[in-house]
Amino acid sequence: MADAVLPEDGQDKPVTKGTSRNTALISCRDLTKIYKMGQSEVRALDGVDLDIMEGDFVAIIGSSGSGKSTLMNMLGALDQPTSGIVTINGENVGTMKSKKLAQFRNRTIGFVFQQFQLLPKKSARKNVELPLQYRKPKPPDARAKARQALELVGLGDRTDHRPTELSGGQQQRVAIARALAGEPKVLLADEPTGALDSKTSEDIMALMTELNQKGITIIVITHEDEVAAYAQRVIEFKDGHIISDRRNDVAAA
Amino acid sequence: MSALSTLALAASSIIERPLRSILTSLGIVIGVAAVYAMLALGEGAKKQVEESLNSINTRTMQVWQDWGRRRSSQSRPAMPFTEQDVKELRAINGVFAATGTLTGRSYTIATASNDVSGNFLGVDPDQLKATGGEMVMGENISYADIETRRPVAVISEGIQRRLFDGQNPLGQTIKVNNIAFTVKGVTSKPDSDISFGNDDTFVWAPITVARERVLGGNSFIQNHVSNIRVVGEIGTNLDTIEEEMNIILRRSRDLKVGAPPDYRIFSSRGWRQKAAEDTKALSFLLAAMGAISLIVGGVGVMNIMLVSVTERTREIGLRMALGAKKSNIMSQFLTEALLLCILSGFVGLAAGFYASKLAMETMDVQLVFSPSVALISFGSALLIGVVFGFLPARRAAKLNPIEALRHE
Repeated sequence: MADAVLPEDGQDKPVTKGTSRNTALISCRDLTKIYKMGQSEVRALDGVDLDIMEGDFVAIIGSSGSGKSTLMNMLGALDQPTSGIVTINGENVGTMKSKKLAQFRNRTIGFVFQQFQLLPKKSARKNVELPLQYRKPKPPDARAKARQALELVGLGDRTDHRPTELSGGQQQRVAIARALAGEPKVLLADEPTGALDSKTSEDIMALMTELNQKGITIIVITHEDEVAAYAQRVIEFKDGHIISDRRNDVAAA
Repeated sequence: MSALSTLALAASSIIERPLRSILTSLGIVIGVAAVYAMLALGEGAKKQVEESLNSINTRTMQVWQDWGRRRSSQSRPAMPFTEQDVKELRAINGVFAATGTLTGRSYTIATASNDVSGNFLGVDPDQLKATGGEMVMGENISYADIETRRPVAVISEGIQRRLFDGQNPLGQTIKVNNIAFTVKGVTSKPDSDISFGNDDTFVWAPITVARERVLGGNSFIQNHVSNIRVVGEIGTNLDTIEEEMNIILRRSRDLKVGAPPDYRIFSSRGWRQKAAEDTKALSFLLAAMGAISLIVGGVGVMNIMLVSVTERTREIGLRMALGAKKSNIMSQFLTEALLLCILSGFVGLAAGFYASKLAMETMDVQLVFSPSVALISFGSALLIGVVFGFLPARRAAKLNPIEALRHE
């Protein structure tokens, strides 16, 4: 699947190409998130400082409860920090109102979930079109964009299939196409291979690598070292802190 | 998200769950059908009541001497009514007709070759208006006939049929008590239920001629009449007419203030109005039942929408993650509830229309089909959609996307 046909022409791909690889696309300063559980407080994130460059391929690892999912929610503008600053693409997520957050998610973030989260009764193309439905004004070429995104993930011949007619790997590809259709600044994948077997996982990660080489910034949250191995940079979390941040020379090469 | 794609989304989610949608809409369908049928029935009943209240029967007030009084030796005998009373009653504002009648029952009416038994009535021209009948041929009794005491008669169609074999009787002579009358007209069967001898076989003669030559006068009062009928015009207040009638009659009979009247005024309007109110109450009750079934249907819609929101929590979370605003989610579910109710409304209208048509044909109930009735029942379905769709839609919009995405 990984060697599926990809468009040759790099000019009109529905992806965001980094103009400079040295700009910090995402930056977190003293990022803290506190959950109140009755009397006690849980510091899910505790003063995290983090910069992610445009065009980077970052894996965030850690055991459950380490704060990686909380970070993912912050970076995806699904949640807002208790204190500290999250700036994505020059915009401060922490101060946005609900309406602005929705718009921001729509334009800047592309989500990929562990459970794919496809609408079971809609065709692949309709699923991929979904983020464009919520864009104002709706792009007139939404259909073409959806088709292009599906072609990009190697599913150009499956546009009219429903998710139930596709394999797990294909479903995740549809989900990736959906994330790409809106031409986001960053692709945010939460355990993208968690529901897939190892062979399919490799295909999906190969696709991610391919997409990253086309210039898309990718952040993958995972607890599997095999998945993290694809990333150029691996950040490990524990108890709301970054405990290691290293360059992965093999993948970067 | 555009209004059109919201509508398409709502439509597809209704179509994707066909059985559930049908079962949910059933309550609204029945409710709308019931409201429509009941309103149509109510309108029909209202029309019937109006017609009944405007009928000549309802508008007629009869004045009789109070026969019961005679038994008491202390009180003076009841005084007969006079033509003068009739004249004064006729002058009351809003009176359509006032007629005094001298009634003679079971007289033999004869031609040279034939005879028949019937009622012989001394009348004035208003008798025709008060019976609600019409002249079939010839002319009505006129005031000139009364003044000049012409021996003329108007006969009923029944008399015409029996005495003249349905032939033209105008100008022919009939004899009553051996007095000859020339037939000057034929009148139809009265419209009024209150016949007073105006049944099928009757003869009208000018009241003066009837009194002086056939029925005999009153020893004390020259121009007496047996009873008086006063008919109000359509839409006038019959109570005020009755008040004025009392004033006139009390004065003419010289009744002292506070003295009990020696006459009685009968009217059927009391029970007719009561019947009208009963019909109104009934149709109100039916409409209330329709409204209740609509509300029950609405609760059904709300219930299903709440289930639907819970079921689709992950979908809602996903949509939010992909950029749906709270308002998008809100309108998605509100539109779905509304669309469901609108579709049910259409089906309900059709069902109500055919059900009430069937009722009209089988039960002989008058139904009125008016656009306002359709509008009210359809509008109530719409209202139900908004009211009962609101809570589930708001619940959906208030979901936290993170928790919604994790929902199992």
